[in-house]
Amino acid sequence: MSVITIDRVSRWYGNVVAVNDVTMQIGPGITGLLGPNGAGKSTLISMMAGFLPPSSGTVTIDGQATWRNESIYSRIGLVPEREGMYEVVTGWELVLANARLHKLPNPERAARHAIETVDMGQAQDRGIATYSKGMKQRIKVATALVHDPAVLLLDEPFNGMDPRQRLHLMDLLHRMSEGGRSVLFSSHILEEVEQLAATIQVMVAGRHAASGNFREIRRLMTNKPHQYTIRSSDDRRLASALVSDVSTSSVQLRSGSNGAGGQGESSLHVEAVDVARFVRVLPWMAQQTGVRLLEVSPTDESLESVFSYLVNRS
Amino acid sequence: MSAGSPEAGVIHDIGYRHYRGVRLGRWPIVRALFVDSLRGAFGLGRSAKSKIAPLVLLALMTIPALVAGIVVNVSGGTEPPFPLATYPSFVYPLLILYVGGQAPAGVSRDLRFRVTTLYFSRPLGRTDYVAAKLAALTTAVALVMLIPLVVLTGGLLLSDVPAGDVLIGGAQSLLAIALLAPMLAGIALAIASVTPRRGLGVAAVVAVLIIGWAVQGAVQGIVASQGREDLAWWSQLISPGTIVDGLIARLFDLEPASGTQPTGAAVILWGVAVAVVIAGAIGALTLRYRRVSVT
Amino acid sequence: MNPTVMRLTSRTLLGHRRFWLLLGLSTVLLVLAVVVRLVTGTDDDLAWAIVSGFGVGTLVPMIALLAGTGSIGPEIDDGAIVYLLSKPISRYTIVASKLFVAVVSALVLGVVPVVIAAVLLAENVFTVAVPLAVAATAAVLAYCALFLMLSIITRNAVVLGLLYAVVWETTVANLIPGAQALSVRQWSLALAEWLLGTADAARLRVDAAVGAPAGLICLIALFAGSTVYAGVRLRSIRLVAAE
Repeated sequence: MSVITIDRVSRWYGNVVAVNDVTMQIGPGITGLLGPNGAGKSTLISMMAGFLPPSSGTVTIDGQATWRNESIYSRIGLVPEREGMYEVVTGWELVLANARLHKLPNPERAARHAIETVDMGQAQDRGIATYSKGMKQRIKVATALVHDPAVLLLDEPFNGMDPRQRLHLMDLLHRMSEGGRSVLFSSHILEEVEQLAATIQVMVAGRHAASGNFREIRRLMTNKPHQYTIRSSDDRRLASALVSDVSTSSVQLRSGSNGAGGQGESSLHVEAVDVARFVRVLPWMAQQTGVRLLEVSPTDESLESVFSYLVNRS
Repeated sequence: MSAGSPEAGVIHDIGYRHYRGVRLGRWPIVRALFVDSLRGAFGLGRSAKSKIAPLVLLALMTIPALVAGIVVNVSGGTEPPFPLATYPSFVYPLLILYVGGQAPAGVSRDLRFRVTTLYFSRPLGRTDYVAAKLAALTTAVALVMLIPLVVLTGGLLLSDVPAGDVLIGGAQSLLAIALLAPMLAGIALAIASVTPRRGLGVAAVVAVLIIGWAVQGAVQGIVASQGREDLAWWSQLISPGTIVDGLIARLFDLEPASGTQPTGAAVILWGVAVAVVIAGAIGALTLRYRRVSVT
Repeated sequence: MNPTVMRLTSRTLLGHRRFWLLLGLSTVLLVLAVVVRLVTGTDDDLAWAIVSGFGVGTLVPMIALLAGTGSIGPEIDDGAIVYLLSKPISRYTIVASKLFVAVVSALVLGVVPVVIAAVLLAENVFTVAVPLAVAATAAVLAYCALFLMLSIITRNAVVLGLLYAVVWETTVANLIPGAQALSVRQWSLALAEWLLGTADAARLRVDAAVGAPAGLICLIALFAGSTVYAGVRLRSIRLVAAE
């Protein structure tokens, strides 16, 4: 059982802050590092893997600093995002070389086991240059598993994988975590993390936006009021009806640029706390008040907007 | 959301506009590729770092010309310090470094990141690509030689050297440039196009050209040391720089930078050598890009 | 030193394109030597001129440049180095293993042709070949260490190495006397001059810019300094995937 401790870590490049005062602990089980592109996930993983010194703060694994400490690598398995590998050798040779570099007592057996684990036995004697993207990814995972590390760090492991390869890798990570290993993977896709990780750490713009149990964070995210923009034949009458219903928390009347006369230019801005009720009630109310709905559209629901919500409320 | 049954799928018109105008054809693409490659050969349109090497090399080649021009003006001499047409031979190692640095920069990344796929999916043939790249590098190498010569010619025109002599020398050097530039560009591109690794490409181009240059010097020295100075000029055929040097020297009866003039009808071989090198480079490049896969 | 690092390094270093280039370069010297031998026969003066001037002066730096940068540069470039660095192995061991492979390759492809050429061309084979072999070996050690270190600290190691080998060693050092004292070629030539002895050195017109002790000290300092500094820099190398 190993624990990665990130304590008040910041990392900047010149004027650009990539990681901003992050404190987190990553323990046994699968942890998903979630965040949009450019949130600082790779920078954070590089620091955990000892390939980048924090500008301030400390990154340790079981109390040992990772920067300039080669001995830490007997505990870490790293799957880098970059494709670069020793393309002139075969998959078997690369995994075996990794086993030997770890000075394992029986490198052949360890390599064979790692290759079986990622199900690459069929293609192990082919040159890596001939591998597909998914096969390269699996061989990368095999090199990281070969010494049975307590900590497994994967940087964007699902990038470019097809759904079948994705399922296979997810299954593999599940099995790895069951033995008490700490598995951390980064991703910018919410669904990937949802399927795999019990614990998530959310990074947004270099900051640690949320952490903990996935369902809990998901609930916090769904509690976020849903926003709708509505255009109708009579916004004012519809607004008075909507504000009287419990499903809405705020109704805002936005008039168009040319003031009172320009009915078509104005719109309603509604925040709904009970979405299910709101979408049921809205058409009924329109009918009751004799208002014609011209347009009902939800405002942006992208992952980024969810993240920014999390950041702004914390 | 306000209309239609919820099951029906619909693609919303969110305002993308399709281009229905005239599309430029093959020649504008070749021209654009030529201009972009030519700019790239001086680091223009690339990172600040990639501007350093071309500009430093250009400066290193121009400074001796500037100094020579000043010296002639100050000393009041009435003859150029050396025939203008031999100036490219004088700065030949620097030319090698220039072409060695820029040839791989022009082609290796297109191969490494498979940009060629994008090029060849346009109305741009493989020979068009080769032609544009070759023409761009040839022009770049010619410019790199031309700029110091313009400086030198300008300096000499201000001096007591008869203007007629200077202009004749300038015209002769234009011919030297016109022959040497396509040779160097062709050899360099042919070598650079073999590997997608820029570093290896640079090393390979420079190594091949420098070794040729050094071997020529060694052979010339050996033959001369055997008391056969009359034959030393045959060694000129080893390196592109000396082929042009010997040819120009013979054509205009000048003192070559390497050994002596080729004598007799043998000079025809020098002309043939120039043609063979250029044609060989074009052939090799054409074959190479015919084999580049587009998958 | 680590045999696995050495095996992976030799596989990438002698990947076919680089290998053929290296082999082609060393063949040039051998062809030149064979032709000159057939045309003029053996001659110490000529042997020295060719093998020292072209062989040790031009060919050996080129081969050492390709071997030194090729033993680590491509891996840093494409990110494959991470498979060596994420291991419980001292970074100094990695540098030493890679340097060993680079030096052995450059000895086989650079110094062996130098010795063969010297043997083919010289009249007094032993007198000429031994100092040349020693000078070439010393140059290979110093150059490989220097160029390997350069590849770790900059992506432009090949260009910088070429600038040094071509502009500095061949051009500047020939024109400006003071620059000669700062030249690997002159340092190794000093060893050759010392091994030749005064009489033979005068006969072959060998005159290095520095004395043998100074040359030896400079070579050792460059070799050791470059190697250690390469290890220091590899210990704090920063690898981040571009986001």
